[in-house]
Amino acid sequence: MSFEVRDLHFSYGKVKALDGVSLDLSQGAIGLLGPNGAGKSTLLRILLGFLSPEKGEGKVLGYNIKNQQPMIRRFVGYLPEDDCFIPGMDAVSFTSYLGELSGMPHQEAMKRAHEVLFYVGLEESRYRVVETYSGGMKQRLKLAQAIIHDPKLIFLDEPTSGLDPQGRKEILELILDISSKKDIQVLISSHILVDIEATCSYVVILNKGKVAAQGGMSDLKEIKYSLYEIKIKGETKEFLQRLKIMKCKIEETEDGILRVYLPPGQNTQEIFRIAAEQGIQIRHFIKSQTSLEDLFAKAVGVD
Amino acid sequence: MTIKEKGYTHWDGELKEGKFPWRPITRWGIKLTFKKKFFKLLFFTSLVPALVYLAGIYISERLEDFRFMIKGPTEFIQTNPAYFKSYFTNDFLLFMMVMILVFCGAGLISDDLKYNSLQLYFSRPLKKKDYFFGKAFVIVFFLFIVTLIPGLVLFFMKLIFSGSLKFFVSYPWLLISIIGYSFLVTGFFSFYALFLSSLSKNRRYVAIFIFGLYIFSDILFGIFYGIFRNQYFALLSIKSNLQQVGSFIFNQKTPYDFSWFYSFLILFFICVLAGLVLKKKVRGVEIVK
Repeated sequence: MSFEVRDLHFSYGKVKALDGVSLDLSQGAIGLLGPNGAGKSTLLRILLGFLSPEKGEGKVLGYNIKNQQPMIRRFVGYLPEDDCFIPGMDAVSFTSYLGELSGMPHQEAMKRAHEVLFYVGLEESRYRVVETYSGGMKQRLKLAQAIIHDPKLIFLDEPTSGLDPQGRKEILELILDISSKKDIQVLISSHILVDIEATCSYVVILNKGKVAAQGGMSDLKEIKYSLYEIKIKGETKEFLQRLKIMKCKIEETEDGILRVYLPPGQNTQEIFRIAAEQGIQIRHFIKSQTSLEDLFAKAVGVD
Repeated sequence: MTIKEKGYTHWDGELKEGKFPWRPITRWGIKLTFKKKFFKLLFFTSLVPALVYLAGIYISERLEDFRFMIKGPTEFIQTNPAYFKSYFTNDFLLFMMVMILVFCGAGLISDDLKYNSLQLYFSRPLKKKDYFFGKAFVIVFFLFIVTLIPGLVLFFMKLIFSGSLKFFVSYPWLLISIIGYSFLVTGFFSFYALFLSSLSKNRRYVAIFIFGLYIFSDILFGIFYGIFRNQYFALLSIKSNLQQVGSFIFNQKTPYDFSWFYSFLILFFICVLAGLVLKKKVRGVEIVK
């Protein structure tokens, strides 16, 4: 079991940051989603042992979040969102230094630093002073320092922010490699829904300090929605009117495709029947995969 | 097979909680300080007083060899506690210590604030006291090299040059005074530099604070003393307070006509204030955003 929390409460003054959050997460890559102020950062702070919850309890890797924080930090890797480094150090020194601070012996940390820098693709520039690194290289370096001590659990805070598409793809590949092929659990807090969709098998959506939705990515999409993409030829006004009477939710995309959310209990045959009655040609009809964006929007209550 | 092809590999070692988890912080702090331009020159210049005083001890013990150079009375160099006190509290040495702080102490915390590295430290199994110890011992390392080490070397060289333990028997407490004052001045300057370093994200401003506050406090004393002719204004000066307490520790007459304890209280108050500010400043940014 990687971490579990029960009925967590935390407030900043009068503002409730977490309001009865309970989670029990154990394997794979987990995406932590939520709008600003949802409580993601507070949850991360509590899981890392920086904050003590006002109410509730929890364990990370079997260590109590209230009184075993140093042990949690020893076995957890953390990739912060901000640019952060130590000026004057090259990448090898920087990475091995942080490995030593995690409890690795000096020589081992140095050896391992070379390995992880090779792994994240910084082998050519590992002796360069970190101030001279580009944004993408700094992001890789932050990943290297997060995995130097071979943690059992890694918290990644916006791991792809500020990266170009190629850099983003490469970082996501590394995260996938770490989380899928090895027994390391990854918790990714990100605003980029596509990244979460690409890397995570489990999603937790927080909203206003509460868990708005959680579950396996495929389960969440399957259960909640029946979404179809339809392209038609003919007079649409009446057709859409009839669909709305059926309580379908309809979105029209810029390229003329209708995204139709079919309410539970309705049959797709009904759509074809209405089209036939209205004399409309259906030229394209596929069951669409509900995007995480849809799921997120529904969970946090926005269109 | 390359590492990239192999993918992520596990480390088969064991993470351990060392007795001194702050040691890497100190080691890297010292390394990075030596990389700074002109620091080596400055640091070795700060050892000049130690060499001069060592030569003084040698000359005083081998006076006959240098008789031809001396025109006045032969007791012009007396190696006694006053001699040691004058080494430790001389203006030049204190000034050089402040210059060392400018180089090694200014960026200790301010760089961590500027480059957001506090969250890297505190996402490790480090306690706040480990962080402070690690940073403070960088300063302690450099200041001990210009205070404690030369003080002990001077003391033992005196015994070696004189060829007897007479000096030790005459002043058995002197060794404790050397150690005590070295700890006092180093401890005070460690708090002083870390405190100022935590006040700004810009190490240049901090360097100006460290140097400026030391000089300004002395100038302020000079101005007020010039106007009011009251020695109590020496309490405004960091240098004078250190010299006042130093004189007491070496069992010498204090340079100002008030108790050494007032000076000690001022220094102690600055340390307490520094500790409180440090605790607040570092706590404020240690948390994951």
